[in-house]
Amino acid sequence: MAFVATLFFVSGLVFVVVRVLPGDPALVIIGPEGSPEAAARLREALGLNRPLPLQYVEWLTNALQGDLGVSLQYDLPVGRLIASRLPVTLPLTLMAALLMAATALPVGLYAARRHRRAGDYLAMAVSQIGVAIPGFWAGLLLILLFSVHLGWVQSGGFAGWSVGLWPGVRSLLLPAVALGLFQAAVLVRATRSSVLDVLGEDYVRTARAKGVSELSVIGKHTLRNALIPIVTVAGVQLGQLMAGAIILESVFALPGLGRLALGAITARDLPVVQGVTLFVASSIVLINFAVDLLYVVLDPRIRYD
Amino acid sequence: MHHFGTLRPLAALAFGLLVSPAAAPAQNLVVQSATEPPGLDLTATPASATAVVVFYNVQESLVKVDRHGKIVPWLAERWHTADNKNYTFFLKRGVRFHNGRELRAADVKFVIDRAMNPETKHPYPGYYAAISDIIVKDDYTITFTLKSTSANFLLNMARQGSVIYPREAVDTLKSEPIGTGPYKLAEWVRGDRIVLVKNPDYHVKGLPKLDRVTYRFISDPNAALAALKAGDIDAAMFGLGPEHVPELQKDPRFQVIIGETTNDVIMSMNNSRKPYSDVRVRRAITHGINKPEVVKGAMFGLGSVLGTNVDPLNPYFVDMSGAMPYDPGKAKKLLAEAGYPNGFEAVLRVAPQYYYTVRTGEVLAAQLQKIGVRIKIEQVEWGQWLSRVWKDAEYDLTIIGHAEAWDIANYANPKYYFRYDNADFQKLFAESEITVDDKARRELYVRMQKKLVEDAPVVWLYIHPRLAVTKKGVQGIWKDLPLPAFDLSEVAWAK
Repeated sequence: MAFVATLFFVSGLVFVVVRVLPGDPALVIIGPEGSPEAAARLREALGLNRPLPLQYVEWLTNALQGDLGVSLQYDLPVGRLIASRLPVTLPLTLMAALLMAATALPVGLYAARRHRRAGDYLAMAVSQIGVAIPGFWAGLLLILLFSVHLGWVQSGGFAGWSVGLWPGVRSLLLPAVALGLFQAAVLVRATRSSVLDVLGEDYVRTARAKGVSELSVIGKHTLRNALIPIVTVAGVQLGQLMAGAIILESVFALPGLGRLALGAITARDLPVVQGVTLFVASSIVLINFAVDLLYVVLDPRIRYD
Repeated sequence: MHHFGTLRPLAALAFGLLVSPAAAPAQNLVVQSATEPPGLDLTATPASATAVVVFYNVQESLVKVDRHGKIVPWLAERWHTADNKNYTFFLKRGVRFHNGRELRAADVKFVIDRAMNPETKHPYPGYYAAISDIIVKDDYTITFTLKSTSANFLLNMARQGSVIYPREAVDTLKSEPIGTGPYKLAEWVRGDRIVLVKNPDYHVKGLPKLDRVTYRFISDPNAALAALKAGDIDAAMFGLGPEHVPELQKDPRFQVIIGETTNDVIMSMNNSRKPYSDVRVRRAITHGINKPEVVKGAMFGLGSVLGTNVDPLNPYFVDMSGAMPYDPGKAKKLLAEAGYPNGFEAVLRVAPQYYYTVRTGEVLAAQLQKIGVRIKIEQVEWGQWLSRVWKDAEYDLTIIGHAEAWDIANYANPKYYFRYDNADFQKLFAESEITVDDKARRELYVRMQKKLVEDAPVVWLYIHPRLAVTKKGVQGIWKDLPLPAFDLSEVAWAK
């Protein structure tokens, strides 16, 4: 129920926001050299002169039936446009998330175990740099190093999955690193503090006093209990990865959802802006829902009635 | 992923032919394009991103503006007019559209009739306003009758909005345009690239020289530079900034092409608003601007200083760059005369989508400060700029490049965002439109330019240079751009 209400709210908000923004889609399409009369005729043809509530109800009715409208600039169904961009954005986000988790969990754990020792300070210093570096800049630095100087990977663009798995993965590697490793910095800090909290608990001390092996203390008693705050942060970050993809897709010239959205905003392609926003919002709501479910798995004491 | 599944076999076939052992090595070119076209229909959008791909490469017009700015016969092998009111075009025989059908006079009539129809929502209906009748004499002969003589009629027939396409393909122009051009569309992977392949039946013998052209959409200039250096693209024809030029000029792997364009960068003043309605204030602002310094500061010294609307590629160009020289003393005096001895405050609205507008604005703000005009720079997003500045003239000052060739008409339109309303100028312009005699017309253009300099409705700053960078060995690229066209028919790799 909350799920539906959130989406309903988001759809209404986006619908109103993109329309109250100054900037007329017809003018953007027809351009500054075109005649105002042509723009006026186009506005009429696009149905932008009709009352706002009417436009919204119509859009919502269609959206509920799975029809997100037709792109003003591409003349293609929005649903098809979104679907065509997913083979880039989904693997990119997934790869970035895997990289993020694979780096952040061990490093965070290590830093917590080495609390206030050299390893901890080093991990914290490095992650501080990671937090401070914006993704697009990291992306450019990676391109300079791995494409221009070493020539290992393409500087941008997407090879496509039809060519094979490896060429596809290869074109997403650098952006995934730029996206994932630098987001990992935040998760390292969350992991460290969460593990530290648990390490100070009585039951950990008891386990150690009983002579339980260190591996078991960390794996069974600490990590599982520390995971709830970590999963919460990771869930939020997964949403941020999708947002970060918008900028990195431009830097790496990838035909993903983010670039679709960016181009649509500039071109005032309202149906596409609405469609993509609705899609991203639904994904984030779904991620949060998945995180909630994960709580139950991690901690059987949590119950949803 | 791919929307053009049906076209892929075609591309694969073409590619297969190219790599067959008997064939000469394939001539492929990968070009960066900063913006993805918002559709490929030149009769529906004025976007230069569309013209970059389609104009003269995929679709062509009856006559063409060549690389020197001259109007030459193209799909029409010649034309005839006895009275400058009736133009008869004789079509080249045997010209085939990409669908295999021969070009006929009926196609030309269909295309121009459609452009004139308000229902079409053509972006430039004004170009066809002078036409009263189009008569197909036979399959290869067509006559245009004009309401009155129109000096720009032939030029308008050469523009991007006048490309000829087969009538049966009118519904797919936006995504699968076909025409008579040297290249045909092979695929458009939305968000990533557009691929053109050689048209083997092209009506000009020996052209095109390339087998395949790929436009890759890379919007970030730094990413484009990296792609060039990494060897992933062969040319960046648009999208690199002047700041990249010195570095690339030193690099032996590349050639930098710097040429003229028709893109005049101007700072417009709202002539309907105080204090800019006072010609003394407009002149003061003009005298307060050091244009060579603007070019140096904002454009790394690239781009020629401009004195009036007519650009150096135009045959009626008169060098007026020294007519209103930098003279802060005179500027202050003029401001005092106009009742602003202490200057005034002004908002300068610029759209950062066009990087040069922001940079130029910063230099101008510093310069105008010295004559007491205190400028606040306000950056607005492009869509907003179009609505607020261009459409509603809701601004004091603004900077933008006017890319169109032969656009002096804007100054004769009091509703244009300059809001410049001068009866004398409008009369001169109206006369120039119907004067066909070259000498008389040139005289009118000189008088118009002088009038504009005197009235200073805007400040003409500089011509935005054409900056193209290619790998060494790429030949045949147009140096100057007399029309916003990016003709690749003669481009080839050196042997």
